[in-house]
Amino acid sequence: MHELSFFRTWLPVIYLYGVGGIIFFGGMFIIFKAKTIKPERLLHKRWIKVLYFGFFYYLALHVFLTYAALNF
Amino acid sequence: MDHVIHTSPVFWIIIVGYFALILGFGSYFARYNKDTNDFFFSGRRFSWWLITMSIVATGVGSHSFLKYSAKAFEHGFSSTMTYMNDWFFVPFFLFGWLPIVYYTRIRSIPDYFERRFNRNVRILATIAILGYMIGYIAIGFLTMGKTLEPLLGWDLYTIIWVVAIIAGIYITFGGQTAVIFTDLAQGFVLLFAGALIFILGINYLGGFDIFWNALPSEFKLPLAHFNQPSNFNFVGIFWQDGVAGSVGFLFMNQGLIMRFMATKSVNEGRKAAAFNILLLLPLSTVVTSNAGWIGKAISVVTPEAWDASIKLDHVFTQVASLVTSSEIVFAFIIAAVAAALMSTVDTLINAVAAVVINDIYRPIVKDKDDKHYLKAAMFISAGATLLGVITVTFFDNFPTLYEAHGFFHSTMTPPLVIAIFLGIFWKRYTTLAAVSTFVVGAYLMWLGNKYPAFLIGPFDHGIDMDPVHPYSYIRALYNTFVCLASGVLFSFIFTRKVEVKIEKYTAKVVASAVAYFSTHDQNVTSTRDIYYAVWGGFCKIVNSFVKNAATDESLDGITVWTLDKAREMFKGSKPNDEPGLEPIVRWKVEESDKSFVRFSKNQMEEMAANVGDLVYLSDKRKWLGGLKSVHSVYAEPHDEDGVVYMTPDLIDSGQFSPDRALRAEKEM
Repeated sequence: MHELSFFRTWLPVIYLYGVGGIIFFGGMFIIFKAKTIKPERLLHKRWIKVLYFGFFYYLALHVFLTYAALNF
Repeated sequence: MDHVIHTSPVFWIIIVGYFALILGFGSYFARYNKDTNDFFFSGRRFSWWLITMSIVATGVGSHSFLKYSAKAFEHGFSSTMTYMNDWFFVPFFLFGWLPIVYYTRIRSIPDYFERRFNRNVRILATIAILGYMIGYIAIGFLTMGKTLEPLLGWDLYTIIWVVAIIAGIYITFGGQTAVIFTDLAQGFVLLFAGALIFILGINYLGGFDIFWNALPSEFKLPLAHFNQPSNFNFVGIFWQDGVAGSVGFLFMNQGLIMRFMATKSVNEGRKAAAFNILLLLPLSTVVTSNAGWIGKAISVVTPEAWDASIKLDHVFTQVASLVTSSEIVFAFIIAAVAAALMSTVDTLINAVAAVVINDIYRPIVKDKDDKHYLKAAMFISAGATLLGVITVTFFDNFPTLYEAHGFFHSTMTPPLVIAIFLGIFWKRYTTLAAVSTFVVGAYLMWLGNKYPAFLIGPFDHGIDMDPVHPYSYIRALYNTFVCLASGVLFSFIFTRKVEVKIEKYTAKVVASAVAYFSTHDQNVTSTRDIYYAVWGGFCKIVNSFVKNAATDESLDGITVWTLDKAREMFKGSKPNDEPGLEPIVRWKVEESDKSFVRFSKNQMEEMAANVGDLVYLSDKRKWLGGLKSVHSVYAEPHDEDGVVYMTPDLIDSGQFSPDRALRAEKEM
């Protein structure tokens, strides 16, 4: 089996969550600054958790799938 | 053309029967359309789970089994990329655009542009959004044609015309409620059909181990190569789909926006969106792509069974035909996929009708009764169907549906996406800057299309330029950049103060030109005549764009920075966010010309509600998903615990049964 290059394996993951992360955390910053999300409200507190969970859930999924493809 | 897959009459009976069942299901719920509000927005009544499942059919349909099966066969698990890169914009959507759309009660995206800027910007937005949706309808028809082509053996365009006629008839009479319920059923069926293909495929191959080991590591990677090949690479697809596509789908897909507007509250809309992206999109990507993976494994394990000469867009049909040993199962899968595509197209046709009625027709033909607009909406739906079919020829020139869709997203979405985005999140974004985003941005995009190597090349991340379809995906980055740069640059040049000065100056020039021509010959003969005609005309156009331009005060409630104001405007007074209980009550009629509900004092306390607060009442059977429900206002309380008094209009609108209890929720 030929060796897969960094451009084929991990660079896309890094780029996706690097550039995507700037967009995502930029969005979080704006909604906090604009006070459309209010941490003092119980419902919004849950939404903050859901928002962060979603980002790390997809990150974990892509890391896992990349690792599985290369090792199993 | 590929060979035709032979089918018996039983196959076609099942296909026709499935369509009849699904259309009948939707039409049954069409009786809940009482007016244009119901026809387009379903009366803002539904629960999150109902909307999220109906979005599956729209999303899966539009991103199609065919398109992803083709790419999955060619490039492996990286065909899932487009479904798994939507979360980055979710904070902007859930706590920015969604509440603005809901609380401002905008009827369409161009309607937002009028409130945010002015009428002329609305016209520009209407043109852009109609172009976007008609293109989307055309891609839907093309996909449908390609699904049925290997089964029918007919000419592609004959199939498309037949499909268009069925879709046009259905949406014309069904409206949004019918679409939501058809899509609800379709959502479940599609997930089931996709899972069935996977299970049958694994069984056909002889087990998961055989499937997994037949595929090389490179095939199993979830993301494509960073910048190769030019027709399928990670970075191009990230900008085309993850950025332009995701924002386009979430922020400017009128069909999807209308779904969220059909939810009973903003929080239900958030739940529908989050659940869809977190759980249903990963499932949907497996459902739509797995035929390609199975096909690849079959071509390795049993190459004699695989017809290597088929077109890529026919991989799905080939796999479905191979792995389903029974014609009945094959017919069911094809029917489910074809009906899903129909759902997508129907949603978009309904959305086009909403835009045309609310943004073009209603402002011209004013003060007609609702039946008149409903009838006009039906004719417009038919017209949109026709235009969609005519536009198919453009997209048929691309090698695959995936590339056609990619080019479409890269080109059509950036100006609108940037204008919406800056409009929502940047207070300093002015009316003339919005016009520049459309006009200057579109011009620079056109230049990029003409000189791709010179202008798009610097953004290409090392992707080779295909001379026939140059930079199909990464052009999205260039297009987004030039539209964003135009919007930002012109916001700094044409600030609000400058806009006011321009308005005064242009109004003065126009007045001088009018005065000049009123005392002179109307024929343009002298240099002075030319000056007043040309400069006066230009100033008139500029004046129409800066006249009534947004001021800081007029932005209340329509940017993310003033959302509390939007909630207040939605309610008509200060929102009451104190948490309360949700009692179950029996209803009684109270005759009145006004519309209101009255609870007992005790239950008002339980709900932490005050007179004038908003309340949502629904049939207590949660599985109805809000189909029988109504929004109203708390009036003065009474002393009869467990009973709500309602005016007849609310009972009629909610379609409540006398023997059924209701659940009451304070909204705000």
